Amino acid sequence: MGELSILHMNKGEGEASYAKNSTIQRQIISYGKTVMEKAVYRAVENSLPKSVGVADLGCSSGPNTLMAVSEIIDNVRGTCREIGLPVPELRVVLNDLPGNDFNYLFMSLPEFSTNLSKNKGIASDRCFISAMAGSFYGRLFPKNSLHFVHSSSSLHWLSQVPSGLEKSGEHLNKGKIYISKTSPKFVVDAYLRQFERDMWVFLRSRAVEVVAGGTMVLSFMGRASPDASAEVGSHQWELLAHALMAMAKEGIVEEEKIDSLNAPYYAPSAEEMRNVIEEEGSFVVNHISALEIGWDGGLVLDNINSNVDFDESSKPLKVTKIIRAVVEPMMESHFGAQVMDDLFTRYHGLLQDYFSKTIAKHINLLVSITRKF
Amino acid sequence: MDLEKAFHMKGGLDETSYTKNSALQKRGADTVRHITLESIEKLIMETRPKSMGIADMGCSSGPNTLSNVKEIIAAVEDTCRKIGDAAPEFRVYLNDLPTNDFNTIFQALPDFYREFNAGKDHDRRPLYVAGFPGTFYGRIFPDNCLHLVYSSYSLHWLSRVPLGIYDERNLSINRKSIYISTRSESGVWEAYYKQFQEDFSLFLKSRCEEVVNGGKMVLIFLGREGPCHVDRGISLLWELLYQSLATLVDRGEVEVGRLESYEVNFYAPSKEELEDEVRKQGCFKIEVVHKFHMDRDATASNSISYGNAVAKAVRSIQEPMISHHFGHGILDKLFHLYGKLVDQEMVKDHITSTSIVLVLTKS
Repeated sequence: MGELSILHMNKGEGEASYAKNSTIQRQIISYGKTVMEKAVYRAVENSLPKSVGVADLGCSSGPNTLMAVSEIIDNVRGTCREIGLPVPELRVVLNDLPGNDFNYLFMSLPEFSTNLSKNKGIASDRCFISAMAGSFYGRLFPKNSLHFVHSSSSLHWLSQVPSGLEKSGEHLNKGKIYISKTSPKFVVDAYLRQFERDMWVFLRSRAVEVVAGGTMVLSFMGRASPDASAEVGSHQWELLAHALMAMAKEGIVEEEKIDSLNAPYYAPSAEEMRNVIEEEGSFVVNHISALEIGWDGGLVLDNINSNVDFDESSKPLKVTKIIRAVVEPMMESHFGAQVMDDLFTRYHGLLQDYFSKTIAKHINLLVSITRKF
Repeated sequence: MDLEKAFHMKGGLDETSYTKNSALQKRGADTVRHITLESIEKLIMETRPKSMGIADMGCSSGPNTLSNVKEIIAAVEDTCRKIGDAAPEFRVYLNDLPTNDFNTIFQALPDFYREFNAGKDHDRRPLYVAGFPGTFYGRIFPDNCLHLVYSSYSLHWLSRVPLGIYDERNLSINRKSIYISTRSESGVWEAYYKQFQEDFSLFLKSRCEEVVNGGKMVLIFLGREGPCHVDRGISLLWELLYQSLATLVDRGEVEVGRLESYEVNFYAPSKEELEDEVRKQGCFKIEVVHKFHMDRDATASNSISYGNAVAKAVRSIQEPMISHHFGHGILDKLFHLYGKLVDQEMVKDHITSTSIVLVLTKS
């Protein structure tokens, strides 16, 4: 339960905020553009609704949120125009945990609405934007109220730290904060089990809320290898653990605190994801793909990372800030605010080293599914 | 003045927040609770909804927000029990300006849901609470989704300082006051009244499309006793705030031009003015229109004077606007002076603020 309250990104719009450091997440949303367009088309075509419900799950707080919403609105209108349907009423719901900085997000809404009416001709009485705070691992919305669901860079977060990582007070994932090559098998199993349980609940909840024929586009961190401790998919946590262990050796943090910290996170393989979808049974898979992206968000094609930033030397710092914006609240609550600067300075050093030796990659899973009839 | 950015109650949870200083508003709403409950009972009996939309407009951010929701839900469930109906599914729509502190409300939701679900039988229907940021002078909610609109102590806030208050040179025609006062030139109260009419009729028109046939609105406002704008009610409280600011001008701590240009986006309507607008707009039928006063003794505590209690309440309401216009530096001094002035006035005679509750049905 404690995790839920500290699982939020760095608030506001300061230097270290998520709002100012979420370029990779923005890139990820744009990579899913075509898949999203097709999914929205399918959803509208399937139900020809007069009032369309659209939800963004794990909306966070920053410019990416409204960018995604804007895309979705464009897609709905585009589809309606194409199939000759009058533009329906649009109900857009933004969801994230109660600790999310909704206030900051809402501050951009007036301008967003004005843009909608000025530039897209969407009158204020046709599009209604609201927020629903709560965990998406469970019911959030009224039955049959949604036609399209989007979720980006959120579903790799579990509902809790996997149960079973502690036995009779002993921490079983010592010196690590996620799955690692040295993690015992039952740690890996515990993580997989938690993912399967959570994703099943996620799908089952949405199955009630999404109309038959409605679609979902889910985009989150995954991995290519069947081995959960593979480097691609876990290394960002590995390096964080390295930095923390170095601090423990110098007596700056307690090693026991590192042992007791485990990220409520899981990067599944496409196969693991497909298995849960099929097991839960309410959705049909349209598309699952795994995209290789650099740690800065640029695409990795032919093993060449097309940089988002042309300045190679600033990449480690940029990536440090991106990761810090995401994990700092969790780290801070566990180790204290005083050691954060030290932690991320060390992390930056580790990234510089890592980037000099490797093309650092993530796998981003893009999943498009339709609610069965 | 950029109202959209500056106008909101003081957020957060500290001593000077709206959360900690909205007891007066709670008191007011409690005074007419029986009217609210009766209206809900009638609503349920007349519409028998299976899925009920409840909106709180100007929900702000404090204990009153979720306690209002709780009370309304309880009233609905009681009525359903009485008539042998199952309780409906509840869709709760919390609305306030985008600058409102929604984070604090959302953070209180997990406990709220837990309480709602505790000790209930398995037949309990679901509860969905969502935040809808935006001005209620205009559409906020989808078509036909509401059975009940509740708004407590929000509709006396205008969408802006009345247009007619600033002349072609952008100077205020109401330089010697911050609201309507004995020193206000002619044209001032007319400008305020006109703005109220525009705003309130737009409110009614917008809600008309969102409320189902037979749906009801329970609206509680600050108002005034009679046709006269200047009385020993709200207008006096604004006057005392003006005088406190004027004292700071005399002391050289506030620039006179700043005070001259400060006007509040507020209007205290009379019962008749409300009735006129509702009738003109035509969508709603008036069920109840009732003037009432708050018992001032009930709000005073042993540790601080009534004057200071009022000062704290006014501060939590006005602080963001005053900081925006005058800067943070004068806040403590200003409200200290204000508390003293209110106490002095109370010694002379009561300050009785008038409230009005309006119950409307969409015919």
